[in-house]
Amino acid sequence: MNPFSLNPGSSRREFLRNGTVGIGAMALASLNRAESATNPYSFGTSKGVHALDHAPKAKQVIFLHMVGGPSQMDLFDPKPALAQYEGSSLPSEVTKGQKFAFVGPDAKVISSPYEFRQHGESGMVMSDLLPRMSGVVDDLCMIRSMKTDEINHSSGELVLNTGHRLIGRPSFGAWASYGLGSENSDLPAYVVLTNGIPVAGSPVWGAGFLPAQHQGVRFRGGAKPVFYLDDPEQIDRERRKRIVDGTNALNQLSFDRLRDPEISARIKQYELAYRMQTAVPDMVDLKDESQSVLDLYGVKDPAEDTYAKNCLLARRLVESGVRFVQIFVQGWDHHADIYKNLKGKCEEVDQGTSALITDLKQRGLLDETLIVWGGEFGRTPMAQVVSAGGDPTGPGRDHHKESFTVLMAGGGVKGGLTYGSTDDFGFGVSENPVHVHDWHATCLHLLGIDHERLTYKYQGLDARLTQVHGHVVKDLIA
Amino acid sequence: MKLFREHTLLITLVLGAGFSPAIAVDFASDIRPLLSDRCIKCHGPGDKKGGLRLDSRDAILEAIDQDDLAKSELLYRLTTDVEEDHMPPKKGGTKKLTSNQVELFTEWVMDGVPFEQHWAYIIPEKAKISGDEHPVDHFIGKRLAEEGFEPNPAADPATLLRRLSLDLTGLPPSVAEVDAFVSDPSEENYEAQIDRLLASPHFGEKWALRWLDLARYADSNGYQHDDLRSMWPWRDWVINAINDDMPYDQFTIEQLAGDLLPNPTKDQLIATAFHRNTPTNFSGGSKVDEVRATLMMDRVNVTGQVWLAATMECASCHDHKFDPITHRDYFEMYAFFNQSVEEIAVLGEGMFRKKFIGETVEVPTGRENPEQASKLQAELDELEARLAELKQSSTPGIKPQIWSTQKEIRALKAGVAELEPAVVHVLRDSRTPPETRIFERGSYLAPGELVSTGTVDALHPFPEDAPQNRLGLAQWLVADENPLVARVAVNRWWAELFGRGIVETLDDFGMQSAPPSHPELLDWLSVDFVENGWSLKSLLRTLVTSHTYRQSAVIREEVALVDPGNHLLWRSPRHRLTAELVRDNALAISGLMNREMHGPPVFPAQPEGLWDEIGGADIKTYPTSTGADQYRRGIYVMLRRGNPHPSMLNFDAGDRSLCVANRPRTNTPIQALTLLNDPNFVDAAEGFAGLIRDREGDESAKAHWAFRRALSREPSNAESNVLLSLHATDPTWFDVAQALLNTDETICR
Repeated sequence: MNPFSLNPGSSRREFLRNGTVGIGAMALASLNRAESATNPYSFGTSKGVHALDHAPKAKQVIFLHMVGGPSQMDLFDPKPALAQYEGSSLPSEVTKGQKFAFVGPDAKVISSPYEFRQHGESGMVMSDLLPRMSGVVDDLCMIRSMKTDEINHSSGELVLNTGHRLIGRPSFGAWASYGLGSENSDLPAYVVLTNGIPVAGSPVWGAGFLPAQHQGVRFRGGAKPVFYLDDPEQIDRERRKRIVDGTNALNQLSFDRLRDPEISARIKQYELAYRMQTAVPDMVDLKDESQSVLDLYGVKDPAEDTYAKNCLLARRLVESGVRFVQIFVQGWDHHADIYKNLKGKCEEVDQGTSALITDLKQRGLLDETLIVWGGEFGRTPMAQVVSAGGDPTGPGRDHHKESFTVLMAGGGVKGGLTYGSTDDFGFGVSENPVHVHDWHATCLHLLGIDHERLTYKYQGLDARLTQVHGHVVKDLIA
Repeated sequence: MKLFREHTLLITLVLGAGFSPAIAVDFASDIRPLLSDRCIKCHGPGDKKGGLRLDSRDAILEAIDQDDLAKSELLYRLTTDVEEDHMPPKKGGTKKLTSNQVELFTEWVMDGVPFEQHWAYIIPEKAKISGDEHPVDHFIGKRLAEEGFEPNPAADPATLLRRLSLDLTGLPPSVAEVDAFVSDPSEENYEAQIDRLLASPHFGEKWALRWLDLARYADSNGYQHDDLRSMWPWRDWVINAINDDMPYDQFTIEQLAGDLLPNPTKDQLIATAFHRNTPTNFSGGSKVDEVRATLMMDRVNVTGQVWLAATMECASCHDHKFDPITHRDYFEMYAFFNQSVEEIAVLGEGMFRKKFIGETVEVPTGRENPEQASKLQAELDELEARLAELKQSSTPGIKPQIWSTQKEIRALKAGVAELEPAVVHVLRDSRTPPETRIFERGSYLAPGELVSTGTVDALHPFPEDAPQNRLGLAQWLVADENPLVARVAVNRWWAELFGRGIVETLDDFGMQSAPPSHPELLDWLSVDFVENGWSLKSLLRTLVTSHTYRQSAVIREEVALVDPGNHLLWRSPRHRLTAELVRDNALAISGLMNREMHGPPVFPAQPEGLWDEIGGADIKTYPTSTGADQYRRGIYVMLRRGNPHPSMLNFDAGDRSLCVANRPRTNTPIQALTLLNDPNFVDAAEGFAGLIRDREGDESAKAHWAFRRALSREPSNAESNVLLSLHATDPTWFDVAQALLNTDETICR
């Protein structure tokens, strides 16, 4: 019985029956699985594997990860009631059974010394430490009721980026690349910029079990930011072209003989690689940016790889169709001397972040670009006064997973909205909790993806960014 | 692409063909996949929604009206228009059955609900084949004939020898070896080549690679700090065991329980490092009991995955949604591993650093240097003394000095360790093991009911005389009654040669697995494997002597139209070499390769600063190898989980955080940049160019030799012309060498 025979006597029913074990089904099965994902056409304008589930609000994402965990109660979520507890422990019913990284449940409360004010038409509240971001509050959506599961940096970073506390799972950016593909033929779909590296390292932007082409490609600063982009010294452009052409001439002859489409894909990749060698340096060269734009972001020396420069690069990247840009900013882990250190970090990011929003808005790109800003967890209302090594320090705050704040902007979120709230101690969420899984589900939703449907078979499971959790928080969507 | 368009057209035509009278329903191919995909997630061993299960005949009969089959609840639910009654429910996201599928279901119910065991849980048997037929060709040929196709003719001898050499040893043949085979491509000589390659010590290096992926082998802990550790003696144990063709049952027992064998040898202890390959989180805030629970769960998951292709992890939080693995089964398996002694402890005061404790074995590295070690030790003592002083001091702002001294001490300690014998962590059971409780929702913070050791109840029984420890577990795995273990292994080795398993889901033989493309073949090979004393080499001999293996890779469009994925194996598959072999092949062609085996990892050049980026790491300087060490095979390249060598990652090697049964094979521009510009590959091109220059003869002779050195076969005139025109603009032969090393055929087998 030949299921592929065109004999009119052979029925559709018969085809389908045989199809379940026949080659048709096998081919289809593999199309549904790895093979479509290991599709040879990697960068280039590829379509991605996932048809949109609904009309997207956002086409691309800029994820600003403040590594270490910024203090929500010093920046976004004022807790005047803490002043009453200053120097004493929180009520034991609040801290009972809770996990802490370094402090104990009896650690003493410390209130925030910063002024908070209302800003913009929305009246969103922000601390004086972030004066420029305070100027764009009407474009921001502030979630004060975030929750995560982890109190360690590495696992917390992994949850925020991959939805799972263990290394080896695909990152949000990798899922976006896998699901939606790329819109620029000369650049990767997922680019990572860094001002310091997360402690869990590259697995945070890894592809996990997705094919490697979806991993974040790290632009490492400098004029040639991608590994192996530079030709060896003795090879000039013309000579490189001759070698690539020679390689492809051999490839073409192989293809003529073997007819394997993988070979034509390889030919295309060599052409792309050659183009990337100029496209990437052009991308990171800011010489065509006006002085007023440089000033807007606070880029003083374009050769210096500051956060401000990375924000400007993020705009350039999304402008050219890169799907997912991530900036990691290390240094928010303020266990000690928080009032000295927090101020410095805020000065580092305040201008770049607000400029990015302003600039994208001026260019009409903010509506289609989802910007998110936040850490892997928050910080405790109690002070940490002893270092991990057991020595006394100036007061800081410990890791806190029960509540923290993230900001979103553009990409279809409600500007000016302050969502969710925490209890008077700033300890737990009192209203509208948003777990990281919910937040991922919401971000994917804005990209036009149902988080339960963007899946990849891994060890028998339909693995996904939100694991087996996640609900879209509709209230955040404009 | 014309080829694919026509194929789509063909499918459309077939789908458009008319209906004809019903034919009998086949449970395994028609019904089980639907039950598994659309029903069992809610009505299975896990959720049992509405008290209904659909994973056994008895359970299904509850939804069947025996007196009037057509009125059965099961059929009503599939066909009703009442939205709240309809199954699968609209909002769950599970696809509705098509009208054809409903028709099949109806017919199956009307037939009286015939049910059979999932194929992978039935003990395999050998189908009879006539004496002189090759078993692989018999089953592959039968299926091809059914579809009306012929296999490709045999590949030319040069191409075949290259394929065989790369497949068995991961190294290309020399031009002289190719010449000898081309002049005598007889059956006897082919078999002699197989014997030669199977006996090569490089065979073990090639075939260990897949096992290292499964065993999540790496040279560091992973996570924050990502400290280095000496697991390489275990890697060498694997290479040796494979070279010795250690029977797979013994290979299993020694790795899972070598320490529990009577009077275990040092090697048998080292074998148990298999389960100390687990990534370990030593971050500041991680808790000892949390880390232990993660280690033990990893061992259950990896054991299930490696030997049973079971997705155990699903059962860590609740009963498995699809497969007959309960939450309780999971923790009974956990109890075997949880008998181990403590393996993690907090180091010194504070909670910032933890360390490994437990059983170790010392292994000479061949690089011991007691003199240098004692010199460093003296420095270390000095630093320790300084640290003690600093700690006494009350000077303000002294903290950073203390931290940097502590860091220096840790780095120096690692330096001293380098000069001493390697210390490998291995398994040992405790005389007073902790109790094991079921973790509710998989959380170690929610221990529930007490359990003792046990295996998956739905599979074969635990051997009566086996001990209730890891040794018993290993014996249970390799018991004759286990329907899975041989199939799973044979399928993965098949995939190593043919690029894809007979069961495509190398990592899942459960209900959600892909059906085998050639079930009788898989069973024949699995039974034969066990009958031949679980011998990998004899299995491979069977596979590579088949015509299926030896046929050419040329794509015939008329067949490709129907089976573009080559599921029927009408041609030899072509696929790109794995990351390690891309490196090995280039080094071998270039003449630079250092074929020394075994020992501590090596450090070929990588971009600067990578180790500096690993969070909280003490060792931040990558000690780039010099001399011949930089040209060792890929299997010996340092794998630090926090930042593995970028060339390897670019060719789809993982960071070995997880057990991986199936590496993806991508084709990206970053790979092109790596082959063109990574200094290791530039060195290879320079080495190769040097060899070409040194050849006797004129330009044409040199170009001809270069082509054959890279690809074994004879070049066509057009191919020679490409090389000669590259040579015309670059008399150094570097450009020719690079073009040859970059061509698709060179990096594919």
